[in-house]
Order: sequence, then C-alpha cells, then structure tokens
Amino acid sequence: MKNLEALLQSEFTIDYEDNVALMEEVLGKSCDIVKREVIIHEKVDIPCCFFFTDGLADDKQIDKAIRDLQYHVTHLDGTVLGSYDLIRNVQTHLLSDASISQVDCCEAAVEAILSGDTVIIADGFEKVLILSSRGWKTRSVEEPMTESVIRGPREGFTESIRTNTALVRRRIRDPLLHFRAMKIGKRSKTDVNVAFIDGIVKPGLVDEVFQRLERIKIDAILDSGYIEELIEDVPLSPFVTIQSTERPDKVAAALLEGRAAIFVDNSPFVLIVPTYFWQYIQASDDYYSRYWVGTFFRMIRYIAFLLSLTAPSVYVMLLSFHQEMVPTPLALTIASGREVVPFPVLMEALIMEITFELMREAGLRMPRPIGSAMSIVGSLVIGQAAVQAGLVSPFMVIVISITAISSFAIPNYAASFSIRMLRFPLMIASGTLGLLGFAAVFMLLVIHAMSVRSFGEPYFSPATPFRPSDQKDMVFRMPWWMMDKRPHMAKGDMYRQTENQRPGPDHDQGGHESDE
Amino acid sequence: MNKPLSVCLCIAFVILLSGCGKREISDLALVMAVGLDKGKQEGTVRVTAQIARPADARGQTGAPSGQTGEPIYSISAEGRTIFEAIRNLARFSSRRIFWAHNFVIVINEDYARDGIMDVIDFFSRNHELRMRTWVAVTPHAAHELVSTQTGLEVIPGQSVDRLFRYNEIVAEAPRTDMRQLLAAYLSRTSHPILARLTLKGRGTSNKKPQEHGSIDQVELSGTGIFRKDKLIGTLDSKESQALLYFTERVESAVVPIPCPDDKKNEASLELRYQRFTVEPTYQNGKIYFDVRLKTYVDMVESGCRSRLSQAELMQLMEEPLEKVLKERLEKVVKAAQRTYKVDFLELGKYFENKYPKEWKKVRDRWEEEFPRAVVRVHVETEINNPVLLEERVNQRGENK
Repeated sequence: MKNLEALLQSEFTIDYEDNVALMEEVLGKSCDIVKREVIIHEKVDIPCCFFFTDGLADDKQIDKAIRDLQYHVTHLDGTVLGSYDLIRNVQTHLLSDASISQVDCCEAAVEAILSGDTVIIADGFEKVLILSSRGWKTRSVEEPMTESVIRGPREGFTESIRTNTALVRRRIRDPLLHFRAMKIGKRSKTDVNVAFIDGIVKPGLVDEVFQRLERIKIDAILDSGYIEELIEDVPLSPFVTIQSTERPDKVAAALLEGRAAIFVDNSPFVLIVPTYFWQYIQASDDYYSRYWVGTFFRMIRYIAFLLSLTAPSVYVMLLSFHQEMVPTPLALTIASGREVVPFPVLMEALIMEITFELMREAGLRMPRPIGSAMSIVGSLVIGQAAVQAGLVSPFMVIVISITAISSFAIPNYAASFSIRMLRFPLMIASGTLGLLGFAAVFMLLVIHAMSVRSFGEPYFSPATPFRPSDQKDMVFRMPWWMMDKRPHMAKGDMYRQTENQRPGPDHDQGGHESDE
Repeated sequence: MNKPLSVCLCIAFVILLSGCGKREISDLALVMAVGLDKGKQEGTVRVTAQIARPADARGQTGAPSGQTGEPIYSISAEGRTIFEAIRNLARFSSRRIFWAHNFVIVINEDYARDGIMDVIDFFSRNHELRMRTWVAVTPHAAHELVSTQTGLEVIPGQSVDRLFRYNEIVAEAPRTDMRQLLAAYLSRTSHPILARLTLKGRGTSNKKPQEHGSIDQVELSGTGIFRKDKLIGTLDSKESQALLYFTERVESAVVPIPCPDDKKNEASLELRYQRFTVEPTYQNGKIYFDVRLKTYVDMVESGCRSRLSQAELMQLMEEPLEKVLKERLEKVVKAAQRTYKVDFLELGKYFENKYPKEWKKVRDRWEEEFPRAVVRVHVETEINNPVLLEERVNQRGENK
C-alpha cells in the first residue's frame, strides 16, 4: 500500500513509456479501466495512450477526440513544431469543443479517470491531458417519491449532483447563488456541494458548514444521511435538526430564506441547514395554493402532528387512570367494548402500535406486486377481525388508525419517524403513571427540544424565542403580498419584494413600481 | 453506584411498581345514580347504587352482549355511616364501585327530615364525586326510584339527568346540584331547596296497552324546602314555577287562561321573555321588597269561540293573566314568609347587594326580620304575538 501512496504522489516525466507504465501500475488490472493506444500525426508518429473508465466515460466523446487528433494533427507541421508544441496546439486549437486541462501529478490523473474523465498521455509531453468526457447513465428527473404535491413542480432530485445543482440553478438565475465544491470520503471521494446565496445567507453559516464538513474523515459517503449524522448539532436527540428534501423548489425557497443547502453526489436527498422544527409541518403546497387553503391545510397538519404524538397515550392515560375525565356515554361505550379484551389498555395499545409499525415496514420492504395482499391482510389485523376475535377493543382500533393516518399527514418522512418513536415512551409513561407520567415525559421532550439548536438557530424558533414578524409563515401562511421581509435569520437583503402589492384597483402603483 | 445506572433503576422502579392497584375502565362499576334511605336499624343508612352494565347498556360494539337484557344492576347496602354503607356495597360488587360518573343523588324525604348534613359533607368531601351531580328528594323509597327503569335512555340515571338538563321547558322544579346545595347550606341567609322526584304510573306497556299507566316513571316536579339541613316541607309544581323566578332564570312557562267572553274554553299563553327584578328598600328599620315581573307573551293556542278580534282577545286576556301570575308569586312568598319562615327565595341576597352596610346589622337576625318584610308583587304582561295565525281560525265567530 505504501508503494501505491508513493506512486500516486509521483509526477509524470517526459518519457512516454514510463508514464504509461506508471498509470498501469496504479490502476492495476481492473477490467473496467480501458486503455487505448493510437498513433497520431502520420509524419512524426506520436504514440498516444487514452485511459478512461468504461461506463463512466462517454464513448462518443472519446471517439471524436481520437478522430480529431488523427485527422487534424496531421495538418500541423510536426517537423517544425516538435511534439511538445504539437500537444499544446492540440489543446488550444483542435480539441477546443471539449474541456481539456493539463496535470502533472499522477494522483490527479487517476482521480480524473475514476470520475469518468479521459487521460491522454502523449509522447514527448511531460504532462498529461485530461479530457472531460463524463457521461454515464443516470435516472431521469422524476416526481419525488416521498414529497408529492397537488399543485407545484413535479421535479425531484436525482442521484447526479450536476443535475441536482442545475435544477436549483434553473430556479435561481442569480450570480450570487454560489455552489462551493469539496470532496469527502477517502475512498469514495464523493462530490459535495454547498449552495448559498451571497448577501442573503445567514452570516457565518457557510464557514460553519464547511468547518463541520471538513471535520469528516470517513472512507465513503454513500448517501447524504452519512453527512447528516456526522454534522448534526445534537447527535443523541430524537429530533431531526437537518431537513432533507427531494424537492428542488424547497431547496430554492430555503436558499432565498437565508439557509444553505448541502448537495451530495449519488443521493437524491439534499440537506438544508439550519432547520426549524416547524418546517417539518410545512409542505410546498402551502405556498403554491391560495393562502387560506395553505393555512387551513397547515393547521390540519399541526393537528395531525399532535394527534400522532399523543393520541394513543392520552387514550391509555384516560382509560387506565382518569376514567372520570371521559364523558359518561363515551365511558360506557368504551367499557362495553373492553368487556372481553384480556389485556390492560397499555398492553393493548402497544400490541396495536407494533402491529401497525410491522405493517408499515413490511409494506415498505415488500416487492410492489404483493402490495395488495399486504393491505388485505393488514386490514384484518387492524380492524373488525381483530375486534371480533376479542383481542382488542373497537375504540383502540379507531385510536390507532387515527394515529396512523395522522403520522402519514406529516410531510417530512424523517420527522414523522422521530414522532413515531417518541410515541412509545409517552405511551409507557402514561400507561404507568397516568397524567403525571404523560406530563413529565412531554415536558422533558419540550424542554429538550427548546434547548436544541440547529446551526446556531433555536430549534423552536420562531415560536420560542418569539419573533413577531416570522409568525407570518408559521401557524398561518400569510398571502404572498404580505410577506415582504425575509425571515429573521437572513441578513443583508432583507426585503424580498416591494411593499403594497396587494392586488386591487387602489394598489396599482405598488404593482408597477417593481416593474420599472 | 454510578449515576446512569441509578437513574435507569429509578425509572425502571417507577414504571414497574406504579401499576400496582390501578383499575382500568373495564374493572370499574360505573355508578349512574345513588339513593339514600333510612336503614332498617335505627341510625343506619341504606345506600342504593344504580350501576351500569356496559355490555348491555351498549350493544353492537363487537363485544358479546351480557345477554341479561338489563342495562343496570342495582345493589344496596346498609351502614352506620354513608361511607361504611358504600364500603359494604363492595361485598356484592365484582368491580370497584366508581362514583365519578354519578348523575343524580336521590334522598328519601324521611331521611331528609332528620338532616342531610352527612350527605352534604360526604359528597363534597370525597374526591371521586363531582359537584355537578344533581340532588333531589323523593317521597318514595330512594332504592325503588333508583332501580326504576325510566325514560328513553338506556340508563335510567341518564334519563333523570336529561330531565334536569332540559328542565327549562316545564320549569316546575329547581335544578339543584351538589354545588348549589353546598352553597345554600353554607350561606347565612338562604336555605337549601332541592328538586323533587316522584314515581308516577305514566308508562304504558307495549305488550298490554289496555293497562294504561302500569309502569312507573320518574317525574321531576316540585321542590323540597329545607331549614338548614332538615327538610321542612314541599312546594307543588305551580309554586315551584314561581320560585324559579327568584332562584334561577325562567325561560318559558305556559299558562291557560279562560277566554274573556267564552268561559267554557281556554287559550294557552306562553311566557316567552320575562324580566324579573327584586328591588329592596330600607325605610325606618322596615324592609320592603318590590318584586316586578314584566313578561312578553305569545298566544300559542286559542280555543275561544269569540266574536272579538285576536288583538282584542289578547288585550282582554292580559289582566286575568297578570292576576294569575301575581297570585302564584304571592303564594310562594307567603309560603316562605308565613308557612316555613325560611328565606329560600334568596331575598336576603337582593337586600345585601343594595344595602351592604345595613345588611351587616340585620343579617344575624334575618330569621326574624324576613317574615316581617313587606313584599309587594307587581306583574305586567304584554300579549302581543299570535304566532303564525294573524286571524282566528273560526272566522264566522260562532258563539256556541
């Protein structure tokens, strides 16, 4: 291995044979590395060697480059120029349609080959040429699987980082939108890009992001999930402090709010920092539908969040400790349903919850064609059949179903997972200590969440600390013509639009001003 | 021991040990009504609990029905004190008796004549019992009343609860709950009143329709009057209606009045909106109360075979209606001042609100002052709404 390190550090020499031998030794005998030798210039006979990775490099581009070299180099007067100048001319004159660069370090050349570029070693030239020839099969841009919308763009990120950055760039054609590149992973050498808009981004955020990214020393990054776990603020917390999204419009919106985005190659999930807790309850639809529709659905989602977190525990708590809090007719109904159930309420709730989680997990892992079988069997387990078997009470089925539906109404999958997990300690506490246990665990959760920060921003902001102007986009989604300012965290260019844009006969002037 | 381990142990203990002794909803016997009678032995009390049997009270929930067809299960036990009797109930009950859902407390009048201080104390001291429980007295045996299947509701206790709740339509009994009873008992001036529940054979069996009234039903009507905690008398339904003007708001009432020129037939007048004021005056050591009632009345039914127009008819009926209402109010005032000599009308409160300083002087001898106070009743009525019929039905105006 030490040998390889040394080889990688070595530089190319003027000797063609040596250079080819060096490359061959470094790249080993991998079958996907292709070596093509050609001779260019019919008079001078310059031997050239192409190295590229099969599948990563675009064959057509390489063929064209070879053809160009063979035909056009001949026209140059090789006897006068000498091979060194010949190659220089090749770079500047002949292959001008493809991006080309020179390197003299072996390591850079190897990396270029493994990234899909083509390395050209020519006789009589002490450097090697790198021809940009990346072109491999990628998934096309499709509708995101995890975050679908009724109204709004249907594009989702793919596994290719260039496609992803392009999707964002298409939404913000601003020279101030910067993508800063770096590579992470000793073996994977994964491309990571950090996007932000200069002049809007929260001061110090980009430096902080880079500082955290540079600290990562790992062999490979296979998904943005690795990065998320390695840079988050509270690694032990059940709360997710970094938002991941498949939607380019979400990333663009976040950038315009002064956040930064981290793109990771080979992952369709882009990370957004810093993150507020409430972002998980906001969906892109909110902003594209009319404001009162957006507000209504957002409130529904707040209710869904509360229900999915507390519904089973409140039910367990009321039935095992605080029967006086249940309205009498309901108490009788529940009692009659529970008449034959052999388990305590807590046990019953846990059984049903675990059954549901099983169903969800199985449905997720299962090959799609068997999906319908799953739903048929699932409705037996959580439904009338389980009640008739006397295993659970009908009311518990309702509670679990409401909880399940609510948890699916939370737009962010990662957040709904963490809420699902938090349900269990809450349920156990309320099943063993009643309201006291429920309140204690809930308070612990709230206190913990309040202490959490995501890249310097309080997690529960703008609720606590209370930021009056940011309330426009928290519980309510105010109309666009009212949201003149960017959120508190953005700095510099605070106003995102001209004031008084509310449509209407009296407000014509405001509308025209922005056109000027 | 290191810290994390001890914290974990603490949590484990809390979770594992706290479940001891907890009862879940299906381990509880939910009491729907409770009755208090005198026990067989002198000085004992008999407590009857009407317990809901959930499997029968609610059907078709997937749970197999209890098949007894009886939605309630009534048991009674005796004891020297109420609490002892309740503890003795546990001898018969397979589930823990749970009082928080109790709708109504029924007290036998014989028991109430000896004083209900123990009832007030126990039912307000116990944490499981709610202050919003209705309290009533009954001339019948309370255990009989509590075990009677009554009303449209599956659970009789719930039927009685609804009688109290929707009482404003009839308005013939005060809506007395535990909180009011306690407040009136603790008050220096007013004395408790309680609604009266009676059993009346008003129900008819569907299987034997010819035996009309063979099934007893619980009726809410009338008032029991207390001096401190002892029952001293009762008011009938009409007097109770007048009493309600003083103690709570009367929403509506129906008064039939004979037609002005046709004494055989009657018209029904519904009091729709009423303003009731009591104005005390204190002059030369004498207390006067001006009780004013102003009502707006609808004529909801007219059987008058009269030649008069509706407007005339309504105008002519104002005076007899005023007379009837005045008589009723005076009757209940008389009952308070002369018959029972207790201020259950809460006139003392009206006086205290207007003359707080003078009140301090008289409050200690209010018992003597109250019967001596002069109560003047003024009634004003306005019959102005013939509801939907602008003209009489009998246009020809036959007299006979």
